[in-house]
Amino acid sequence: MHPIKKISKEDTWRSDDLKVHIQGHNEESRRKGRSKRDEESLDRQHRDPDRDARREKEKHRDREGSKHREPEKDRHLENRTQEDREHRYKEKRTEREKRDEDKEREEKKHNRGEKERRRDREKERYKEQDIEMYKQQDRDTERVKEKDRERRRTERDRERRSERDKRNEEKTEIKDLDERVRDKEREREERTERHKARENDHRQHKYEEKHRDGERRERHRDKEHKEREHRRDREDKEWRRRDKESNEADRRHSQEAGIKDGEKASEREERHIRQDKRHRETSESKRHDGERKHKESSGHEQNERTIRDKEVENHKTEEDKKSSKDCHNDYEEDFEDYEEDFEDVDDDEEEEKEIIHDDTVKEDTELSPRRREEIEAIRRAMDEENERIYFARSKPTITESSVTERESLFNSGPKHGKIIDFVSAKQREISLKLAHKQKKRSEELLRLIDLDFSITFSLLDLPPVNEYDMYIKNFGTANTKQAYVQCNEDNTDRDIQTEEVDMTEKWTQHPPESKAACGGSEVSQETADESTARMTFDSQRLTTFLRSATQVMAVLIEENNAQSNSLRRLRSQTDALSFSDGSLQLNTRLPFLHSRQVSLLQFSQVQRQTLLSVHPPASKTSAVRMDNETVICVWNMWEPSRPQKILLNESEVKCCCFSPGRVTSVFAGTAVGSVVVWDLREHSGTHYNLVVGTEEWTLRFPTFSTDCVLSGVGHLSPVVSVEPVLATAEKSLKSFITTDIEESLGMSFQLASLDENGLLTLWVVVELPKGNYSGSQTNLGLRPGGKVKLLHSSSTQTTERLSQDIMTYGPPASLQLKFLPSDSSHYFIGTNMGLVRHGTRHSLKVLPKYYRSQFHSCRPVEVTTLDFSPSGEPLFLVGCSDGTLRLHSVLKDDPLMEWTCSDGSPILSVQWSLTRPAVFFVLDAASNLHIWDLTLNDYVPVITENIQNDRVTVMAVFGEPAKQNRFSGVALAKQSGTVEIQYFTRSLTVPGDSDKEKLHSVWQDLFLT
Amino acid sequence: METDASSYLIRPNYKHKFKAGVAKEYMRDILREELSGVQYNPEEIPTLSRSLADTIKNKLKAAGFERYKLIVQVVMGEQRGEGVKMAARCLWDADTDSYAQEMYVNDSLFCVAAAFGVYYY
Repeated sequence: MHPIKKISKEDTWRSDDLKVHIQGHNEESRRKGRSKRDEESLDRQHRDPDRDARREKEKHRDREGSKHREPEKDRHLENRTQEDREHRYKEKRTEREKRDEDKEREEKKHNRGEKERRRDREKERYKEQDIEMYKQQDRDTERVKEKDRERRRTERDRERRSERDKRNEEKTEIKDLDERVRDKEREREERTERHKARENDHRQHKYEEKHRDGERRERHRDKEHKEREHRRDREDKEWRRRDKESNEADRRHSQEAGIKDGEKASEREERHIRQDKRHRETSESKRHDGERKHKESSGHEQNERTIRDKEVENHKTEEDKKSSKDCHNDYEEDFEDYEEDFEDVDDDEEEEKEIIHDDTVKEDTELSPRRREEIEAIRRAMDEENERIYFARSKPTITESSVTERESLFNSGPKHGKIIDFVSAKQREISLKLAHKQKKRSEELLRLIDLDFSITFSLLDLPPVNEYDMYIKNFGTANTKQAYVQCNEDNTDRDIQTEEVDMTEKWTQHPPESKAACGGSEVSQETADESTARMTFDSQRLTTFLRSATQVMAVLIEENNAQSNSLRRLRSQTDALSFSDGSLQLNTRLPFLHSRQVSLLQFSQVQRQTLLSVHPPASKTSAVRMDNETVICVWNMWEPSRPQKILLNESEVKCCCFSPGRVTSVFAGTAVGSVVVWDLREHSGTHYNLVVGTEEWTLRFPTFSTDCVLSGVGHLSPVVSVEPVLATAEKSLKSFITTDIEESLGMSFQLASLDENGLLTLWVVVELPKGNYSGSQTNLGLRPGGKVKLLHSSSTQTTERLSQDIMTYGPPASLQLKFLPSDSSHYFIGTNMGLVRHGTRHSLKVLPKYYRSQFHSCRPVEVTTLDFSPSGEPLFLVGCSDGTLRLHSVLKDDPLMEWTCSDGSPILSVQWSLTRPAVFFVLDAASNLHIWDLTLNDYVPVITENIQNDRVTVMAVFGEPAKQNRFSGVALAKQSGTVEIQYFTRSLTVPGDSDKEKLHSVWQDLFLT
Repeated sequence: METDASSYLIRPNYKHKFKAGVAKEYMRDILREELSGVQYNPEEIPTLSRSLADTIKNKLKAAGFERYKLIVQVVMGEQRGEGVKMAARCLWDADTDSYAQEMYVNDSLFCVAAAFGVYYY
């Protein structure tokens, strides 16, 4: 054998790798036997394995030959072999035990295989094949065992023989050899027979294989039986052997007789072997021929196919094995064991062969060329077969099928060299190294890197499509309509409902009552607040409203009272006044008016019910303050219980007048030459309040006074008359001026004042937009907070140088001022000379210059009163202190008529009736009231009343010319200080048709005369 | 391979970093191109999805994400109105590794393509 090579093999191969490879190349390794394989394994594919085998054989032969040449060596070798055999025997025993174990293992494997079969059928198939292979191996080993048994038998025989006679070991050895050779021959014959049978059954190969599998299994089972049988047989064999021994003994005899005999015997044996060999070769050649024929025939293809199939399968199994290397470690070990077994067997075979070779070598020396040819042919055939097999193989690491394996086994021992896959081994090593490196690398890297579990990325979130969309998608395409069909089952009902109507109750009222203007169940609080807010907001309006309302109410109440009073009085003094249709008395019994007479009464020309009364300080001092002050009371005729306003002035008031239009201010001329203004609109709070008893009186001082301020331009003598000057543009009469127009004009009007010296001064009444309560620096004379002031406009000296004769009667004095109602630029001034001067404000010359008495051109008679006709005729009446009464036309200086009152007492006042153009009233100092009606009588007054019980000092006529609500009357101020208002009878109030005509005729007469 | 730990390239060059936006663009283009007008056919879809994945992978490979292992997954399904949810979890180094996802839906099928770029240190 090749121990050196073995060592080298083990050196170069690591056990694991080797295992794998051995497993992979089970068959090969077996076939290869002891051939040199390691180095050439890669090249082997290209080389002819058979040739190698041949070479080896030759080598062996050479060796054998050398052995023969050195018989001692041979003997030695023989000894060694025997020792080996003994050793092997022991080994075999252990191995048999092992095998038993292996068998069990195999069974286990079987089970495992079954499990795996379940998993993978293909795998299973391969495994089965594997198992088959193992079984084959087993079978082989069995065969080997049989051989062993025989050998043992021979050994036993030998031992027995040695016991009996150990004389000639060589001979026994030879005998043994013989025996063995014979055995071998027997075996070979059997094999060849089997082979032939196999060859015959080649076509049914697969079936057979299965069959054989079964057989093999049986065989395995029967192994021990066989052993037993074997023992039984042994006895028979013993018998036979004895027979043989007897023969041998003969032979021994012959051998003993001479070496030649032995030689002969050996020769015989050799011959025998040769014959055997020949036989074998011929059989083989026959087989090969048959195979060749097969090749040519269709059978060959089948054969090839089967082989190929097997090979493919094998290939697969190999792969499988590789993949399942780890799990088949046990396997591998088993295989190894087997392998060793085989090696051992091979060794045995080898030895036998060596022996045979010995013979053959001997033979070869004398081998005939014919024989060589035969051998050559056989080799060629083998080569061919091998080649064919090789070509059929895709890879060199393929285990052969059982048939070929057996063939190779029995035909020629090692045919192919075992192929060891260095590449894969290297690769494995490299990959291991790499893996190691990578592992190291990964360890190092993992230290540097943080791997983290990422949050789950949502790759797709496709929400389910709702039914309607799906429906639309499927059916909502063009040319389709959606229809709604409903059967009664799902009786759906639909109703549509709008939101409920909100209903709340609310109310509203205008003007707002109590607090709220509107309200409701819910918002009452809010609206209440709102309304209260509005209420506070409108408080001023309310106060104004209340003021007027109270005024109205007061008037009504006063009227009631007055009526009852007057009625009572009328009853009491039935015929007090013939002209009177009723009267009322102004309540002048006021504390501050106590014991004061009335010096003047004046009615407003627009608001006819309003009058003012001037109460100069009384001669006797009273307990009350304001003794020296003149009190002016503004009355509403219908509210006689108390005066509307109470005005105070420190100096004596000589004359006074209302503002034109509405009664907003009162103007007065004083005895000290000043003109004062009271603004009646001023709030009562800014004035002095006098509390007398339970009543509170507001006493007003003048808003503006020209007293000291306008000393340069003001009057230096007592002012005798103040008159408002209406705009010249106004053609209409004063009576026609409506309040509206007046309002539109505002307060812008002129005021004329005349003092005793005849200085006529025109003032412009200016209303300031805003009062200054802290007092004004520029507007001196203006009361703090006052809004009305007078601006000096112009001054005209009306008195001219009069003729000397007039001058002799004393200094001229102006007493009365009147403006022509139709043209306010014309003024008429009554003088103390019985004359009425006529002039214009613009100093134009107008005629007549004087209106004089019919009888006396010039005499010292004061013109006490002057009054224009309110009917529009240019006529005026002049009353004189000598009791004469003249009716003048504007155009003529002589009077139209001149009367002299009966007793010649001075005339205090003459006033036209406001309702009847031809009626006028005259009051004389003797307290006689004369009523003239020119339509009835132009010589004497129609009515003359003498009021004696309480002398009348002042008279003022009032009346409303408008057709509806027409009234007229006269206010009479008595000596006692009371003011009595007498309403005229209807005859004196209502104008007749003749009135104007009469007046006109009078006027016409004037011109005619 | 040096054993020195400091010589490892732990972070990719920014130029070669796996950019999800770029990848997404590519994927969108590919999906649009390949799937526009395609009707769901259960027999063709497996091959189609495989080819799509390959196309995307090749495209991404050409995009120059160096040292990146690219994993492309393409899922296609029929659009029948059912809801579909799909998610992925990764154990990776979030600094270097990223993924891009693109979706294509038409009225017969939906397709989700996800590309994971894992840096190869």
